[in-house]
Amino acid sequence: MTPTGDGTPAVQADRVWFAYRNRDWVLRDVSLSVPAGKHTVIMGPSGTGKTTLLRVLGAILKPADGRVSVFGETVHELDPRRLSALVGYVPQQLGLVRNLSALDNVLMGSLGRIGDAKAMLALFPREELGRAEAALEMMGIAYKRSEPVFRLSGGERQRVAIARTLLQHPRIVIADEFASDLDLALASEILTRIRRAAEKENITFIMSMHRIGLARQFGDNVLALKHGEMVPGFIGNEILETPRAEETL
Amino acid sequence: MRLSLALPLTTGLFLLAVLAHLGFFDLERLARGMRNLGILGSEMLPPDVGILPTVGAALWETVEMSFAGTLLGFLASLPLSILSTRRLFSSWISGIARFIAAGIRTIPVLLWAIIFVILVGLGPLAGTLGIAAYTVGYLAKIYADLFEGTDPEIMEAVRSTGASKLQLVRFVILPEAANAVLAQVLFMLEYNIRASSVLGFVGAGGLGFVIQIYLQSLDYQRLATILLLVLVIVLVMDGISAWLRKHFLLSAQAS
Repeated sequence: MTPTGDGTPAVQADRVWFAYRNRDWVLRDVSLSVPAGKHTVIMGPSGTGKTTLLRVLGAILKPADGRVSVFGETVHELDPRRLSALVGYVPQQLGLVRNLSALDNVLMGSLGRIGDAKAMLALFPREELGRAEAALEMMGIAYKRSEPVFRLSGGERQRVAIARTLLQHPRIVIADEFASDLDLALASEILTRIRRAAEKENITFIMSMHRIGLARQFGDNVLALKHGEMVPGFIGNEILETPRAEETL
Repeated sequence: MRLSLALPLTTGLFLLAVLAHLGFFDLERLARGMRNLGILGSEMLPPDVGILPTVGAALWETVEMSFAGTLLGFLASLPLSILSTRRLFSSWISGIARFIAAGIRTIPVLLWAIIFVILVGLGPLAGTLGIAAYTVGYLAKIYADLFEGTDPEIMEAVRSTGASKLQLVRFVILPEAANAVLAQVLFMLEYNIRASSVLGFVGAGGLGFVIQIYLQSLDYQRLATILLLVLVIVLVMDGISAWLRKHFLLSAQAS
Protein backbone atom coordinates (compact mmCIF):
# COMPACT_ATOMS: atom_id res chain seq x y z
CA MET A 1 0.00 0.00 0.00
CA THR A 2 1.38 3.42 -0.86
CA PRO A 3 -0.53 5.80 1.32
CA THR A 4 0.94 8.95 -0.12
CA GLY A 5 0.17 10.22 -3.57
CA ASP A 6 -3.42 9.07 -3.89
CA GLY A 7 -4.76 12.04 -1.97
CA THR A 8 -5.80 10.10 1.13
CA PRO A 9 -5.07 12.34 4.15
CA ALA A 10 -2.52 10.97 6.61
CA VAL A 11 -4.84 11.72 9.52
CA GLN A 12 -8.46 12.71 9.45
CA ALA A 13 -10.72 13.58 12.35
CA ASP A 14 -14.46 13.79 11.73
CA ARG A 15 -16.64 15.56 14.30
CA VAL A 16 -14.65 14.31 17.29
CA TRP A 17 -15.95 14.89 20.81
CA PHE A 18 -14.03 14.00 23.93
CA ALA A 19 -14.51 14.41 27.69
CA TYR A 20 -12.50 13.01 30.64
CA ARG A 21 -15.53 13.50 32.90
CA ASN A 22 -19.08 13.10 31.88
CA ARG A 23 -20.07 15.76 29.30
CA ASP A 24 -17.31 18.12 30.43
CA TRP A 25 -16.15 18.47 26.82
CA VAL A 26 -12.46 19.02 26.19
CA LEU A 27 -12.82 18.56 22.43
CA ARG A 28 -15.99 19.82 20.77
CA ASP A 29 -16.86 18.72 17.29
CA VAL A 30 -13.26 18.79 16.06
CA SER A 31 -12.73 18.02 12.38
CA LEU A 32 -9.38 18.26 10.71
CA SER A 33 -7.41 16.77 7.89
CA VAL A 34 -3.64 16.37 7.83
CA PRO A 35 -2.17 15.96 4.34
CA ALA A 36 0.36 13.15 3.91
CA GLY A 37 3.99 14.08 3.68
CA LYS A 38 3.41 17.57 5.10
CA HIS A 39 4.20 18.73 8.62
CA THR A 40 1.29 20.04 10.58
CA VAL A 41 1.60 22.21 13.66
CA ILE A 42 -1.29 22.60 16.07
CA MET A 43 -1.18 25.84 18.04
CA GLY A 44 -3.27 27.22 20.83
CA PRO A 45 -3.08 28.58 24.36
CA SER A 46 -2.29 26.14 27.15
CA GLY A 47 -5.21 24.23 28.63
CA THR A 48 -7.06 24.38 25.37
CA GLY A 49 -7.03 20.67 24.59
CA LYS A 50 -3.96 20.28 22.34
CA THR A 51 -2.57 17.34 24.30
CA THR A 52 -5.99 15.69 24.39
CA LEU A 53 -6.42 16.19 20.64
CA LEU A 54 -3.02 14.63 19.91
CA ARG A 55 -3.77 11.70 22.22
CA VAL A 56 -7.07 11.12 20.45
CA LEU A 57 -5.36 11.33 17.05
CA GLY A 58 -2.74 8.83 18.28
CA ALA A 59 -5.46 6.42 19.50
CA ILE A 60 -4.30 6.65 23.12
CA LEU A 61 -7.71 8.08 24.00
CA LYS A 62 -10.98 6.98 22.44
CA PRO A 63 -13.32 9.76 21.39
CA ALA A 64 -16.83 9.84 22.87
CA ASP A 65 -18.17 10.53 19.44
CA GLY A 66 -16.76 10.95 15.95
CA ARG A 67 -14.05 9.09 14.07
CA VAL A 68 -10.29 9.34 13.65
CA SER A 69 -8.64 7.62 10.70
CA VAL A 70 -5.06 7.26 9.53
CA PHE A 71 -4.63 6.63 5.82
CA GLY A 72 -8.28 5.70 5.70
CA GLU A 73 -8.21 3.14 8.54
CA THR A 74 -10.19 3.87 11.72
CA VAL A 75 -7.53 4.02 14.44
CA HIS A 76 -9.59 2.55 17.26
CA GLU A 77 -10.23 -0.60 15.28
CA LEU A 78 -6.55 -1.30 14.59
CA ASP A 79 -4.65 -3.87 16.64
CA PRO A 80 -1.72 -2.37 18.63
CA ARG A 81 1.04 -3.71 16.41
CA ARG A 82 -0.59 -2.48 13.20
CA LEU A 83 -1.22 0.87 14.85
CA SER A 84 2.42 1.09 15.95
CA ALA A 85 3.51 0.63 12.34
CA LEU A 86 1.36 3.62 11.36
CA VAL A 87 1.59 6.07 14.26
CA GLY A 88 4.45 6.95 16.59
CA TYR A 89 3.68 9.06 19.67
CA VAL A 90 6.09 11.25 21.63
CA PRO A 91 4.49 12.58 24.84
CA GLN A 92 5.30 15.98 26.30
CA GLN A 93 7.67 14.56 28.93
CA LEU A 94 9.05 12.24 26.20
CA GLY A 95 8.38 8.97 28.03
CA LEU A 96 11.98 7.75 28.12
CA VAL A 97 13.09 5.10 30.61
CA ARG A 98 15.55 6.99 32.80
CA ASN A 99 17.70 4.12 34.05
CA LEU A 100 18.36 2.71 30.58
CA SER A 101 20.92 3.95 28.06
CA ALA A 102 20.08 6.15 25.08
CA LEU A 103 20.66 3.17 22.77
CA ASP A 104 18.37 0.88 24.81
CA ASN A 105 15.66 3.51 24.72
CA VAL A 106 15.96 3.84 20.95
CA LEU A 107 15.90 0.05 20.54
CA MET A 108 12.50 0.04 22.24
CA GLY A 109 11.17 1.54 19.03
CA SER A 110 11.58 -1.91 17.48
CA LEU A 111 9.61 -3.81 20.16
CA GLY A 112 6.56 -4.04 17.90
CA ARG A 113 8.58 -6.26 15.53
CA ILE A 114 10.28 -8.42 18.14
CA GLY A 115 9.02 -11.55 19.89
CA ASP A 116 8.69 -11.72 23.68
CA ALA A 117 11.39 -14.35 24.20
CA LYS A 118 14.07 -12.36 22.38
CA ALA A 119 13.01 -9.12 24.03
CA MET A 120 13.23 -10.67 27.53
CA LEU A 121 16.91 -11.42 26.95
CA ALA A 122 17.39 -8.05 25.22
CA LEU A 123 18.55 -9.93 22.12
CA PHE A 124 17.87 -7.35 19.46
CA PRO A 125 18.56 -8.47 15.88
CA ARG A 126 21.74 -7.07 14.35
CA GLU A 127 19.85 -5.05 11.77
CA GLU A 128 17.75 -3.37 14.48
CA LEU A 129 20.94 -2.41 16.31
CA GLY A 130 22.29 -0.94 13.08
CA ARG A 131 19.08 1.02 12.55
CA ALA A 132 19.12 2.30 16.14
CA GLU A 133 22.70 3.51 15.71
CA ALA A 134 21.71 5.20 12.46
CA ALA A 135 18.73 6.91 14.09
CA LEU A 136 20.95 8.22 16.91
CA GLU A 137 23.43 9.39 14.28
CA MET A 138 20.71 11.16 12.34
CA MET A 139 19.63 13.05 15.47
CA GLY A 140 23.25 13.92 16.27
CA ILE A 141 23.39 12.08 19.60
CA ALA A 142 25.29 8.88 18.69
CA TYR A 143 28.25 9.85 20.88
CA LYS A 144 26.04 9.50 23.97
CA ARG A 145 24.62 6.10 23.04
CA SER A 146 25.74 4.37 26.27
CA GLU A 147 24.78 7.16 28.68
CA PRO A 148 21.75 6.47 30.87
CA VAL A 149 18.95 8.87 30.03
CA PHE A 150 18.95 10.45 33.48
CA ARG A 151 22.38 11.89 32.72
CA LEU A 152 21.26 13.53 29.45
CA SER A 153 20.24 17.16 29.08
CA GLY A 154 16.77 18.22 27.94
CA GLY A 155 17.83 18.68 24.32
CA GLU A 156 19.65 15.34 24.25
CA ARG A 157 16.56 13.59 25.58
CA GLN A 158 14.42 15.12 22.82
CA ARG A 159 16.81 13.68 20.26
CA VAL A 160 16.70 10.24 21.87
CA ALA A 161 12.89 10.31 21.96
CA ILE A 162 12.68 11.15 18.25
CA ALA A 163 15.29 8.50 17.42
CA ARG A 164 13.16 5.90 19.25
CA THR A 165 10.12 6.90 17.25
CA LEU A 166 12.11 6.80 13.98
CA LEU A 167 13.12 3.21 14.75
CA GLN A 168 9.44 2.36 14.98
CA HIS A 169 9.17 3.21 11.23
CA PRO A 170 5.76 4.82 11.56
CA ARG A 171 4.07 6.67 8.70
CA ILE A 172 3.02 9.43 11.09
CA VAL A 173 4.71 10.86 14.18
CA ILE A 174 2.68 12.79 16.74
CA ALA A 175 4.76 14.87 19.16
CA ASP A 176 3.28 16.89 22.01
CA GLU A 177 4.81 20.32 22.77
CA PHE A 178 8.01 19.14 21.22
CA ALA A 179 11.15 21.21 21.86
CA SER A 180 9.02 23.72 23.76
CA ASP A 181 11.31 24.03 26.75
CA LEU A 182 14.52 24.38 24.74
CA ASP A 183 16.11 27.64 23.75
CA LEU A 184 15.28 28.77 20.24
CA ALA A 185 18.60 27.94 18.57
CA LEU A 186 18.66 24.41 19.97
CA ALA A 187 14.99 23.80 19.20
CA SER A 188 15.56 25.03 15.67
CA GLU A 189 18.54 22.71 15.16
CA ILE A 190 16.61 19.68 16.39
CA LEU A 191 13.60 20.55 14.25
CA THR A 192 15.85 20.84 11.20
CA ARG A 193 17.19 17.37 11.88
CA ILE A 194 13.64 16.09 12.24
CA ARG A 195 12.65 17.61 8.88
CA ARG A 196 15.61 15.89 7.24
CA ALA A 197 14.73 12.56 8.85
CA ALA A 198 11.08 12.98 7.91
CA GLU A 199 11.91 13.60 4.27
CA LYS A 200 14.24 10.62 4.12
CA GLU A 201 11.75 8.24 5.74
CA ASN A 202 8.65 9.85 4.24
CA ILE A 203 7.03 10.55 7.59
CA THR A 204 4.18 12.96 8.27
CA PHE A 205 4.77 14.95 11.47
CA ILE A 206 2.05 16.42 13.67
CA MET A 207 3.28 18.60 16.52
CA SER A 208 1.70 20.89 19.02
CA MET A 209 3.63 24.08 19.75
CA HIS A 210 3.08 27.41 21.35
CA ARG A 211 5.93 29.39 19.77
CA ILE A 212 5.00 30.99 16.50
CA GLY A 213 8.56 31.33 15.25
CA LEU A 214 9.15 27.59 15.49
CA ALA A 215 5.73 26.80 14.09
CA ARG A 216 6.48 28.92 11.05
CA GLN A 217 9.86 27.26 10.57
CA PHE A 218 8.60 23.73 10.96
CA GLY A 219 4.99 23.63 9.86
CA ASP A 220 3.82 23.37 6.28
CA ASN A 221 0.36 23.60 7.67
CA VAL A 222 -0.70 25.33 10.89
CA LEU A 223 -3.96 24.63 12.69
CA ALA A 224 -5.26 26.39 15.78
CA LEU A 225 -7.31 25.03 18.64
CA LYS A 226 -9.08 27.23 21.18
CA HIS A 227 -11.36 26.07 24.00
CA GLY A 228 -11.50 22.63 22.41
CA GLU A 229 -12.67 23.88 19.04
CA MET A 230 -10.80 24.41 15.80
CA VAL A 231 -10.35 28.07 14.97
CA PRO A 232 -12.01 28.41 11.55
CA GLY A 233 -10.00 29.89 8.73
CA PHE A 234 -6.75 29.37 10.62
CA ILE A 235 -5.33 26.86 8.23
CA GLY A 236 -2.38 28.41 6.50
CA ASN A 237 1.13 29.47 7.20
CA GLU A 238 0.43 32.89 5.69
CA ILE A 239 -1.93 33.80 8.54
CA LEU A 240 1.03 33.68 10.88
CA GLU A 241 2.64 36.47 8.94
CA THR A 242 -0.03 38.90 10.09
CA PRO A 243 0.43 40.49 13.50
CA ARG A 244 -3.14 39.57 14.42
CA ALA A 245 -2.24 35.91 14.62
CA GLU A 246 -0.66 36.34 17.98
CA GLU A 247 -3.78 38.00 19.31
CA THR A 248 -5.89 35.17 17.97
CA LEU A 249 -4.11 32.76 20.27
CA MET B 1 -5.31 26.17 62.97
CA ARG B 2 -7.40 24.01 65.27
CA LEU B 3 -6.52 20.76 63.58
CA SER B 4 -2.80 21.11 64.20
CA LEU B 5 -3.36 21.04 67.97
CA ALA B 6 -6.28 18.61 68.09
CA LEU B 7 -4.48 15.75 66.38
CA PRO B 8 -1.36 15.53 68.60
CA LEU B 9 -3.52 16.06 71.70
CA THR B 10 -5.89 13.21 70.86
CA THR B 11 -2.98 10.96 69.91
CA GLY B 12 -1.24 11.73 73.20
CA LEU B 13 -4.34 11.01 75.31
CA PHE B 14 -4.96 7.81 73.39
CA LEU B 15 -1.38 6.66 74.01
CA LEU B 16 -1.66 7.40 77.77
CA ALA B 17 -4.93 5.49 78.00
CA VAL B 18 -3.51 2.46 76.22
CA LEU B 19 -0.33 2.47 78.32
CA ALA B 20 -2.39 2.63 81.53
CA HIS B 21 -4.45 -0.31 80.33
CA LEU B 22 -1.27 -2.27 79.64
CA GLY B 23 0.00 -1.69 83.21
CA PHE B 24 2.64 0.85 82.33
CA PHE B 25 1.89 3.04 85.36
CA ASP B 26 2.14 0.21 87.89
CA LEU B 27 5.20 1.76 89.59
CA GLU B 28 5.83 -1.13 91.95
CA ARG B 29 5.98 -3.51 89.01
CA LEU B 30 8.26 -1.23 87.03
CA ALA B 31 10.69 -0.95 89.95
CA ARG B 32 10.78 -4.74 90.22
CA GLY B 33 11.51 -4.87 86.49
CA MET B 34 14.45 -2.53 86.87
CA ARG B 35 15.87 -4.67 89.68
CA ASN B 36 15.51 -7.78 87.55
CA LEU B 37 17.22 -6.05 84.65
CA GLY B 38 20.21 -5.43 86.88
CA ILE B 39 20.34 -9.07 87.96
CA LEU B 40 19.94 -10.34 84.39
CA GLY B 41 22.65 -7.97 83.18
CA SER B 42 25.11 -9.11 85.84
CA GLU B 43 24.37 -12.78 85.13
CA MET B 44 25.08 -12.22 81.42
CA LEU B 45 28.54 -10.84 82.09
CA PRO B 46 31.04 -11.76 81.03
CA PRO B 47 29.79 -13.52 77.90
CA ASP B 48 31.03 -17.06 77.62
CA VAL B 49 32.97 -17.10 74.33
CA GLY B 50 34.01 -20.72 74.87
CA ILE B 51 30.88 -21.84 73.04
CA LEU B 52 31.85 -20.10 69.77
CA PRO B 53 33.16 -23.26 68.02
CA THR B 54 29.99 -25.15 68.99
CA VAL B 55 27.52 -22.52 67.83
CA GLY B 56 29.47 -21.70 64.65
CA ALA B 57 27.52 -24.26 62.66
CA ALA B 58 24.17 -22.95 63.91
CA LEU B 59 25.23 -19.41 63.09
CA TRP B 60 26.19 -20.36 59.55
CA GLU B 61 22.87 -22.18 59.15
CA THR B 62 21.02 -19.00 60.14
CA VAL B 63 22.90 -16.97 57.53
CA GLU B 64 22.25 -19.61 54.86
CA MET B 65 18.56 -19.77 55.70
CA SER B 66 18.07 -16.05 55.47
CA PHE B 67 19.98 -15.66 52.19
CA ALA B 68 18.25 -18.57 50.47
CA GLY B 69 14.85 -17.68 51.90
CA THR B 70 15.08 -14.03 50.90
CA LEU B 71 16.22 -14.87 47.37
CA LEU B 72 13.53 -17.52 46.90
CA GLY B 73 10.87 -15.17 48.22
CA PHE B 74 12.11 -12.34 46.02
CA LEU B 75 11.95 -14.50 42.86
CA ALA B 76 8.45 -15.68 43.70
CA SER B 77 7.26 -12.17 44.55
CA LEU B 78 8.10 -10.78 41.09
CA PRO B 79 5.44 -12.61 39.06
CA LEU B 80 2.88 -12.11 41.84
CA SER B 81 3.52 -8.37 42.02
CA ILE B 82 3.40 -8.00 38.24
CA LEU B 83 0.04 -9.80 38.16
CA SER B 84 -1.11 -7.44 40.95
CA THR B 85 -0.35 -4.36 38.84
CA ARG B 86 -3.69 -2.88 37.86
CA ARG B 87 -2.12 -0.85 35.07
CA LEU B 88 -1.21 -4.07 33.25
CA PHE B 89 -3.94 -6.55 34.13
CA SER B 90 -7.69 -6.45 34.58
CA SER B 91 -9.04 -5.76 38.06
CA TRP B 92 -10.03 -9.43 38.15
CA ILE B 93 -6.52 -10.79 37.77
CA SER B 94 -4.84 -8.11 39.90
CA GLY B 95 -7.52 -8.55 42.57
CA ILE B 96 -6.85 -12.28 42.87
CA ALA B 97 -3.08 -11.75 42.92
CA ARG B 98 -3.41 -9.08 45.63
CA PHE B 99 -5.68 -11.34 47.65
CA ILE B 100 -3.11 -14.15 47.55
CA ALA B 101 -0.32 -11.79 48.63
CA ALA B 102 -2.46 -10.41 51.46
CA GLY B 103 -3.27 -13.96 52.59
CA ILE B 104 0.40 -14.91 52.71
CA ARG B 105 1.22 -11.71 54.57
CA THR B 106 -1.38 -12.36 57.26
CA ILE B 107 0.63 -15.28 58.65
CA PRO B 108 3.66 -14.21 60.73
CA VAL B 109 7.03 -15.72 59.90
CA LEU B 110 7.15 -17.89 63.06
CA LEU B 111 3.83 -19.45 62.13
CA TRP B 112 5.08 -20.10 58.59
CA ALA B 113 8.07 -21.88 60.11
CA ILE B 114 5.75 -24.10 62.18
CA ILE B 115 3.67 -24.89 59.09
CA PHE B 116 6.77 -25.90 57.13
CA VAL B 117 8.13 -27.95 60.03
CA ILE B 118 4.87 -29.89 59.82
CA LEU B 119 5.16 -30.16 56.02
CA VAL B 120 8.86 -30.94 55.49
CA GLY B 121 10.05 -31.91 58.97
CA LEU B 122 12.50 -30.34 61.44
CA GLY B 123 15.56 -28.48 60.23
CA PRO B 124 16.77 -25.51 58.22
CA LEU B 125 14.72 -26.38 55.10
CA ALA B 126 11.55 -25.54 57.03
CA GLY B 127 13.10 -22.26 58.18
CA THR B 128 14.20 -21.35 54.66
CA LEU B 129 10.73 -21.98 53.24
CA GLY B 130 9.12 -20.07 56.10
CA ILE B 131 11.31 -17.05 55.44
CA ALA B 132 10.62 -17.32 51.71
CA ALA B 133 6.86 -17.39 52.27
CA TYR B 134 6.90 -14.34 54.52
CA THR B 135 9.16 -12.51 52.05
CA VAL B 136 6.78 -13.22 49.16
CA GLY B 137 3.84 -11.69 51.00
CA TYR B 138 5.74 -8.58 51.94
CA LEU B 139 7.62 -7.91 48.70
CA ALA B 140 4.67 -8.71 46.42
CA LYS B 141 2.69 -5.93 48.08
CA ILE B 142 5.52 -3.39 48.09
CA TYR B 143 6.48 -4.15 44.48
CA ALA B 144 2.91 -4.05 43.19
CA ASP B 145 2.46 -0.56 44.64
CA LEU B 146 5.82 0.43 43.23
CA PHE B 147 5.04 -0.88 39.74
CA GLU B 148 1.70 0.89 39.74
CA GLY B 149 3.50 4.14 40.35
CA THR B 150 5.35 3.87 37.02
CA ASP B 151 5.05 7.14 35.10
CA PRO B 152 2.00 6.65 32.83
CA GLU B 153 3.60 8.73 30.07
CA ILE B 154 6.47 6.29 29.76
CA MET B 155 4.01 3.39 29.63
CA GLU B 156 2.00 5.11 26.90
CA ALA B 157 5.04 6.06 24.87
CA VAL B 158 6.51 2.55 24.92
CA ARG B 159 3.12 0.89 24.47
CA SER B 160 2.66 2.96 21.32
CA THR B 161 5.76 1.26 19.85
CA GLY B 162 3.66 -1.91 19.80
CA ALA B 163 5.31 -3.41 22.89
CA SER B 164 3.55 -6.34 24.58
CA LYS B 165 2.78 -6.49 28.32
CA LEU B 166 5.81 -8.67 28.96
CA GLN B 167 8.01 -6.24 27.05
CA LEU B 168 6.61 -3.33 29.06
CA VAL B 169 7.57 -5.17 32.25
CA ARG B 170 11.06 -5.88 30.94
CA PHE B 171 11.84 -2.45 29.49
CA VAL B 172 9.76 0.02 31.46
CA ILE B 173 8.45 -1.27 34.78
CA LEU B 174 11.52 -3.12 36.06
CA PRO B 175 14.18 -0.59 34.97
CA GLU B 176 12.14 2.34 36.30
CA ALA B 177 11.66 0.61 39.67
CA ALA B 178 15.16 -0.96 39.80
CA ASN B 179 16.48 1.19 42.64
CA ALA B 180 13.56 0.61 44.94
CA VAL B 181 13.40 -3.11 44.05
CA LEU B 182 17.02 -3.58 45.14
CA ALA B 183 16.63 -1.42 48.24
CA GLN B 184 13.63 -3.45 49.40
CA VAL B 185 15.38 -6.82 48.89
CA LEU B 186 18.29 -5.60 51.01
CA PHE B 187 15.90 -4.39 53.71
CA MET B 188 14.16 -7.76 53.64
CA LEU B 189 17.50 -9.59 53.92
CA GLU B 190 18.42 -7.61 57.05
CA TYR B 191 15.00 -8.25 58.51
CA ASN B 192 15.19 -11.98 57.74
CA ILE B 193 18.59 -12.36 59.40
CA ARG B 194 17.08 -11.11 62.65
CA ALA B 195 13.88 -13.09 62.18
CA SER B 196 15.66 -16.34 61.34
CA SER B 197 17.55 -16.33 64.63
CA VAL B 198 14.32 -17.19 66.46
CA LEU B 199 12.97 -19.76 63.99
CA GLY B 200 14.94 -22.47 65.81
CA PHE B 201 12.44 -22.07 68.71
CA VAL B 202 10.02 -24.12 66.64
CA GLY B 203 12.62 -26.51 65.29
CA ALA B 204 13.19 -24.76 61.98
CA GLY B 205 16.98 -24.67 62.20
CA GLY B 206 19.60 -22.05 62.95
CA LEU B 207 20.62 -20.21 66.12
CA GLY B 208 17.15 -20.23 67.65
CA PHE B 209 17.51 -23.79 68.88
CA VAL B 210 20.67 -22.88 70.79
CA ILE B 211 19.10 -19.71 72.16
CA GLN B 212 16.19 -21.75 73.45
CA ILE B 213 18.44 -24.24 75.22
CA TYR B 214 20.46 -21.51 76.97
CA LEU B 215 17.28 -19.66 77.93
CA GLN B 216 15.72 -22.73 79.50
CA SER B 217 18.88 -23.67 81.37
CA LEU B 218 19.23 -20.04 82.58
CA ASP B 219 22.71 -20.01 81.04
CA TYR B 220 22.76 -16.24 80.49
CA GLN B 221 26.49 -15.85 79.88
CA ARG B 222 26.23 -18.14 76.87
CA LEU B 223 23.03 -16.44 75.74
CA ALA B 224 24.86 -13.10 75.79
CA THR B 225 27.46 -14.49 73.41
CA ILE B 226 24.74 -15.52 70.97
CA LEU B 227 23.06 -12.12 71.13
CA LEU B 228 26.40 -10.48 70.43
CA LEU B 229 26.88 -12.83 67.48
CA VAL B 230 23.51 -11.82 66.03
CA LEU B 231 24.49 -8.20 66.48
CA VAL B 232 27.75 -8.82 64.59
CA ILE B 233 25.93 -10.50 61.69
CA VAL B 234 23.41 -7.69 61.46
CA LEU B 235 26.22 -5.13 61.43
CA VAL B 236 28.09 -7.06 58.74
CA MET B 237 24.86 -7.27 56.70
CA ASP B 238 24.36 -3.52 57.11
CA GLY B 239 27.86 -3.01 55.76
CA ILE B 240 27.28 -5.31 52.79
CA SER B 241 23.98 -3.70 51.88
CA ALA B 242 25.45 -0.21 52.23
CA TRP B 243 28.18 -1.25 49.80
CA LEU B 244 25.63 -2.76 47.39
CA ARG B 245 23.52 0.39 47.55
CA LYS B 246 26.50 2.57 46.83
CA HIS B 247 27.67 0.53 43.86
CA PHE B 248 24.48 -0.66 42.26
CA LEU B 249 21.83 1.93 42.96
CA LEU B 250 21.64 4.52 40.22
CA SER B 251 21.71 8.05 41.45
CA ALA B 252 18.87 9.18 39.23
CA GLN B 253 18.11 12.59 40.59
CA ALA B 254 17.12 13.96 37.20
CA SER B 255 13.51 14.76 36.51
